[in-house]
Amino acid sequence: MGNVKTEIPPGTLHMLILKSLVRLGDMHGYGIAQHIQQTSDEVLQVEEGSLYPALQRMLIKGWVAAEWKQSENNRRARFYQLTPEGRKQLARELRNYQQVSGAIAKVIEAV
Amino acid sequence: MKSLLRRLQYLFARRQRESELDEEIRDHLARKAADLGDTGAARRQFGNVTLVQEESRAQWSFPLLEQLAQDVRYAVRDMAAHRMFTAVAVLSLALGIGANTAIYSFMDAVMLRALPVSQPEQLVILNWRAKDNPRVVASHWGEIYDHDAGGVISPNFPYPAYELLRNNQVFSSLFGHMNAGSLNVVAEGQAEIARGQYVTGDLFTGLGVPPALGRLIGRTDDQRGAPPVAVLTYDYWKSRFGANPAVVGQTVRIDSTAFTVIGVAAPNFYGVNSSVKPQLFLPIVSIEQIGWQNSKQGLLANRTFYWIELMARLRPGVTLETAQAHLAGPFHNFVYNTAVTELERSNIPALSLQEGGSGVDAMRREYAKPLWVLMAMVGLILLIACANLANLLLARAAGRRREMAVRLSLGAGRFRVIRQLLTESLLLAIAGAVAGLGVAALAIRAILALLANGDEAFPAVVGLDWRVLTFTLLMAIAASLLFGLVPAIQSTRLDLTPALKETRAGAPRRRNWFSLSQALVVSQIAIALLLVVAASLFVRSLSNLYAVQLGFNAERLLTFSVNAAKAGYEGPARTRFFADLESRLAAVPGVRATTSSDMPIVGGWMSSTVIRLPGAPPPREGQPRTGSPYAQVGPTFFETMEIPILQGRALDERDTEGARKVAVVNQVFAQKFFPGQNPVGQHFSFGGAKPVEIEIVGVARNARYNSLKREIPTVMYLPWKQTSQPLPQMFFDLRAAGDPLALASAVREVVRQANPLVPVAGLTTQTRRMDQTIRQERTFAQLSTWFGALALLMASIGLYGTLAYGVARRTSEIGIRMALGARQGRIVWMVLRDVLVLAGVGLAIGLAAAYQAAALLESFLFGLKPHDPFAILVSAAVLLGCALLAGFLPARRAARVDPLVALRHD
Repeated sequence: MGNVKTEIPPGTLHMLILKSLVRLGDMHGYGIAQHIQQTSDEVLQVEEGSLYPALQRMLIKGWVAAEWKQSENNRRARFYQLTPEGRKQLARELRNYQQVSGAIAKVIEAV
Repeated sequence: MKSLLRRLQYLFARRQRESELDEEIRDHLARKAADLGDTGAARRQFGNVTLVQEESRAQWSFPLLEQLAQDVRYAVRDMAAHRMFTAVAVLSLALGIGANTAIYSFMDAVMLRALPVSQPEQLVILNWRAKDNPRVVASHWGEIYDHDAGGVISPNFPYPAYELLRNNQVFSSLFGHMNAGSLNVVAEGQAEIARGQYVTGDLFTGLGVPPALGRLIGRTDDQRGAPPVAVLTYDYWKSRFGANPAVVGQTVRIDSTAFTVIGVAAPNFYGVNSSVKPQLFLPIVSIEQIGWQNSKQGLLANRTFYWIELMARLRPGVTLETAQAHLAGPFHNFVYNTAVTELERSNIPALSLQEGGSGVDAMRREYAKPLWVLMAMVGLILLIACANLANLLLARAAGRRREMAVRLSLGAGRFRVIRQLLTESLLLAIAGAVAGLGVAALAIRAILALLANGDEAFPAVVGLDWRVLTFTLLMAIAASLLFGLVPAIQSTRLDLTPALKETRAGAPRRRNWFSLSQALVVSQIAIALLLVVAASLFVRSLSNLYAVQLGFNAERLLTFSVNAAKAGYEGPARTRFFADLESRLAAVPGVRATTSSDMPIVGGWMSSTVIRLPGAPPPREGQPRTGSPYAQVGPTFFETMEIPILQGRALDERDTEGARKVAVVNQVFAQKFFPGQNPVGQHFSFGGAKPVEIEIVGVARNARYNSLKREIPTVMYLPWKQTSQPLPQMFFDLRAAGDPLALASAVREVVRQANPLVPVAGLTTQTRRMDQTIRQERTFAQLSTWFGALALLMASIGLYGTLAYGVARRTSEIGIRMALGARQGRIVWMVLRDVLVLAGVGLAIGLAAAYQAAALLESFLFGLKPHDPFAILVSAAVLLGCALLAGFLPARRAARVDPLVALRHD
């Protein structure tokens, strides 16, 4: 499976980022992308081309907050953090996702 | 919503956001490079850095707003590039919108604006309604109007009714007021006339008007026997007392009674009746001390004397209907109990409430209809301006077909292009509106001056407030849609391929846009005709008024009045004062002749009384009685006014108090009451209650009485020295050798010497005073002339523009015609033929519309019918002349086309 890289299904990137931030506390963009990639056993590949627009959008929506901090190797990085609003949004998206994937599973199993 | 705010913050800190994003991405690349151990691979995997940045930035943006900014930039560039077009557009919109704003601000001031008090929507005005003039109303001060829904309506009540209605559950307060008219206010030794208003003690608290200084009239001031107090309006305090705070506590004499000034009302508060604009307020109980002669005693207790006007504030939650239902019964009972005869009981006035947030509507009655007429006129002017602009834009759009085709073929959405074109129109309209505000400010001043015409200021406060500004903005938006939308749609509806193939000079001759522009020109001509017809009707009315046979000589007459009663003169002392004053005035150098009378000869005044002619049966109860207007005049009246005596003699020095009672009558009187007889020497009895026997000693030629507009009534001229009661005030007319106004200061000085406590009122010339009585007609004639001229100008510009553009487009065609031997005259005719067709159609439509619309103006006209053929013919001729003139210039240019140049044109 190692080399098979799959695009992230449309509409789920926000959910994945939010979920990662729950796990990681606060993290910079690169870390978030790495985390998604690693946790999915390298299946899900986060394109930088969609990661940064998504992060900007979430900032605007108020789901995440950002702060510049010194990171482990003494490098300045922008760290993202979940806001209460973002937590609510995550719950909404998870519920939605589970409904849809459950429904898909039913359809598939019915065959 | 919050995200919108965040976006706005991003908009303002854009630089910082961008550098942050930049740094973040560099950091990302560095980490990735460190992980992969290869900077190049990291970059390759990352992809297009600029694109990532751009897409990230796109998240912060407002696409609509940015496109708008783009559109505005583009529009401004375009407007700057076409300076001539922009100037014409902005100027015509400024005139159109400015005229609308000016008239609307008058409407706002007169009809719409709420009183400057707290919660004006809770206020109601009390009226009563009846089938016709009720007999139970024994005496009445104020007005009875015909009600739109039939019957009559009046705002005046007896004082005891006010006291009765005050006890109720529906009003949080009920208060009354009454116009006190002109008061003689003596302060610091100076006597001056000021307008006063009587108010009840709860008026200020009921309205919620605060004092600017001191305190206002309260319940304790409005008790019989309370010390007399007065409250000044803010403006009067500033103009008369120099805004001196020490005025509070000062004593002023008002009509010879001492009043203490206790305070100044809040700025902008002029009472509840916008047509009066008082300068000071007095407690209503003082009406018995300084009110009219015959009212001094018992007015407040009189149950059949209707005078006080009432307003109330509804308790929260109470509707107007509930309040009316609640109080109708008590009022009915009150009036019913004052009725004596069956006739009186058969028509009992019923209480009727109306909304009162904008105050008493006397002014609305006077001005509502004229204002609607003017509003319609300026609305039409704006329509002409819009048609003009639409036409110009259409012509420009035709010139921009290639540009549009390129933009559309490069993938610009049609809606997007229309939006951009509309942005341009809106920008033009807003520029026009801003300039229009300047025009409006000037126009308001001009109209105020026109209305005032040397008289005291127009009572309402007119100006540009936020409501007027909102109106102007809406007007601009509506106008921009009106003139911009159709050209925008038209110019984006393109068949791309032929349009792209067009050369710059010649477009294929698809004429459908041209017919639209012709329709616009035709409608402009039609509308302009409407306005010119209105103008000529009003101007002819006015000239008819000026041409009215006065019957007396109004040239070089100075006129003014003095009130000796208000300065404390009583009985014979008053008569002596007037006689003495008149002889002093006659001695002023430059005065040729003087006379005096109890009323201005043409100034809207009228006195009328019952008469009984010789041989007439004694009057029966309930029968209409014979009556006639009269005037009481001094001994030199006919001589000074130059009214010829046709039979008998004029009144003169012989007709003193003790002498035989005599009268001179006018021709109408003689013919009506003594047809075929010589009235001189005849006797009749004058007056109802205590009739006096009077002998006619002369017949005077007919002269205007009361009004220029009305037919001359029967008039009796009586010597004021023989009047039963001494006159309270006297009107003097001085015939000057030169400019009558040059005598003004000498006259004031003479009156001051006679008694410094007697002020001179209404000093003006006789012609001005008569102008005052026709100020509506004057204002209409002047304004409509301006409006008509404006409409003509705009329509001519529109016609000129369309024709000039047409000629320019047809240059090569004209060149070919000329090359083939067409004469110049034929070319001119070719263009003028278009003019005649357009003007002809426009005039036909305009005439039909004018025929319909003119009937609405009937009540404003004097001495002519609304379908006055002369006015309509002249208007049509003027319009046709303008059209030909506008067409002649392009026609001449067409005729001067050089065929060689024209043919090389392509």
